[in-house]
Amino acid sequence: MSEPPPEDILARFAGMVDQCYDYAEAAKSQGRPVVGITCEYTPREIILAAGAVPVCLCGGALETIPDAERTLPANLCPLIKSTFGYHVQKSNPFLEWADLVVAETTCDGKKKMYEIMAESRPLYVLELPQKADRSEGLERWTEEVRALAAALEARFGVRITDEALRQAVRLMNRERGLRRRLADLMALDRPPLTGRQLLDLKSLISGQEADLERYESLVRALEGGASSPGSPRDRADKPAPVRVLLTGVPTVHGAERVLDLVEAAGAVVVAQENCTGLKPILEDVDAEAADPLRAIAEKYYHLPCSVLTVNDRRLTSLADLAKKFRPQAVIDLVWHACLTYDVESFRVRRLAEDELGLPYLKIETDYAPSDSARLAVRIEALFETVRSRKKAGGSFR
Amino acid sequence: MIGCGIDAGSRAMKIVLMDSEGDRLVAAGYADQIPDQARLARELLEETAAKASLTPRDISRIVGTGYGRPLISRADTTVTEITCQARGVRSLLPEVRSIVDIGGQDSKVIFLDVLGVRDFAMNDRCAAGTGQYMEMTARRLNVSLPELGHIASFSLRPAVISSMCAVFAETEIVSLLASGTDTEDIAAGVFRSIAARVAALAGSKLEPPVVFTGGAALIPGMDKFLSEALGRELTIVPDPRMSAARGAALIACDEMRSCAAGP
Repeated sequence: MSEPPPEDILARFAGMVDQCYDYAEAAKSQGRPVVGITCEYTPREIILAAGAVPVCLCGGALETIPDAERTLPANLCPLIKSTFGYHVQKSNPFLEWADLVVAETTCDGKKKMYEIMAESRPLYVLELPQKADRSEGLERWTEEVRALAAALEARFGVRITDEALRQAVRLMNRERGLRRRLADLMALDRPPLTGRQLLDLKSLISGQEADLERYESLVRALEGGASSPGSPRDRADKPAPVRVLLTGVPTVHGAERVLDLVEAAGAVVVAQENCTGLKPILEDVDAEAADPLRAIAEKYYHLPCSVLTVNDRRLTSLADLAKKFRPQAVIDLVWHACLTYDVESFRVRRLAEDELGLPYLKIETDYAPSDSARLAVRIEALFETVRSRKKAGGSFR
Repeated sequence: MIGCGIDAGSRAMKIVLMDSEGDRLVAAGYADQIPDQARLARELLEETAAKASLTPRDISRIVGTGYGRPLISRADTTVTEITCQARGVRSLLPEVRSIVDIGGQDSKVIFLDVLGVRDFAMNDRCAAGTGQYMEMTARRLNVSLPELGHIASFSLRPAVISSMCAVFAETEIVSLLASGTDTEDIAAGVFRSIAARVAALAGSKLEPPVVFTGGAALIPGMDKFLSEALGRELTIVPDPRMSAARGAALIACDEMRSCAAGP
């Protein structure tokens, strides 16, 4: 059986919000609760095992920010403001459908924003221990994860069995595995997707059987030599684009501007080390573990977010990704007023320049397009530098 | 053959014509920006060519640079001002290792090694630390830009201007004026704050020789404030406003040569 062409599958995901809308609406009408999540630390497996639909609520819209700024300070991360703006405007149907929002203590801005959101919405907060890789931290986090399961059971009047958890783990492992296989194709000399196309394949709602089948079909087509329109493999007559490793903050739906500027300047983003890219899918959960909640806690505790101290795992992950995806430059995206990623950029720059021998560009911006021309200068200059040094046979070390 | 560089900056347009034989300067032109950049580019190109008894038809290749580069329809290619500035300055001072450029709405620091550009840093959205900010100050103090530099040199106690934003800095200047602070102290305070912003961009990587370019390099005394903040001697290239356009023209010459040499 021949696979549908990649562009058909990409078109399905381009209309992902509408399709998720239909899915969530249908789930609601069948009595399935909707649970909003705002962070990759929230284990979707537990929500799925409770029979609920996990929906990502992170705001990527500039339009909701002015309403958020009537309550929140203007000098705050745009992702927090945009998410809160949807809450104020009641304009995100997924948030309006949500029977519960699961939040987490990651950065201070989100933590304090949730307090205000909780005044008018049911909201549950997971407390994330912030010292990385500590057995006491993992114990504490495991307790938090168990408490979430208990809270969902109480709220929705269900029992979360180990078998239901294992089934959800297998579903999420399958989804992560398929997304990894798609992402791995970017390691090729001529990737069959653009970075933007790969990003668009991430859905707001995980665990949808129809999406997983589309991933499978796309993986088979692309591994079989097909390519999507505009990808480096598709444009084999053109000079190979500069390979970029993008790291830093998530580029949530609607906030893909910097990625687009990078690819418009003649590059391909071969790896996205962030929460909308590879970061949450690099590790799976042990589906055979005797204690599935403990196994789930363990996987999520390993996420290398900049709120952790000391976040060495991110640097190790970046070095691994650099080896695998062979980038020619590292671009570190920091949302304005995101203190933890902003400060951590010092260590990322040092890793890129001193250890990986790659040029590094940090971009600090928000959702407003007013600096696009200025960012384009920096991005284009970075690629001019990469190309001219390659021609001259020089490195960046 | 004649290679041409057009630098469409935020404040002014600059055009340089170079003969690809020996990379010899043929003519240069400068004009303040107008809203219709495409027209300005056309007219200035004719005017500049006429200085060397040429017409735009005699120009074999055009490289556009500056923030208005996408609007120069006649450009064969566009190259960022960072690459052009480096190329232009290196042609004048081959041993350059750092370039500090303060233009109308950008300030940038370019780090070079024997191969060319190695790294660079640019100001963010904010205009503090740019020529625009100096022009605003001059307007507020009711003096011309060269006069601003002149009066700043008389300051014994430069005012402290701490705002990280040009708009807030303006209100800070208004309150300094209201509190009776001397204009020379305000002028010196502004120069110091600009120099401090640029020094923050430069970080700890600035290696000599350091070259100062951009319109701000023509303001008397700015180099001294900058040199103090950076802790380095500065060299100002001849015609510091034209060096990026010169680089663009040289890149046009390079491109003609590599085209002639074949793939």
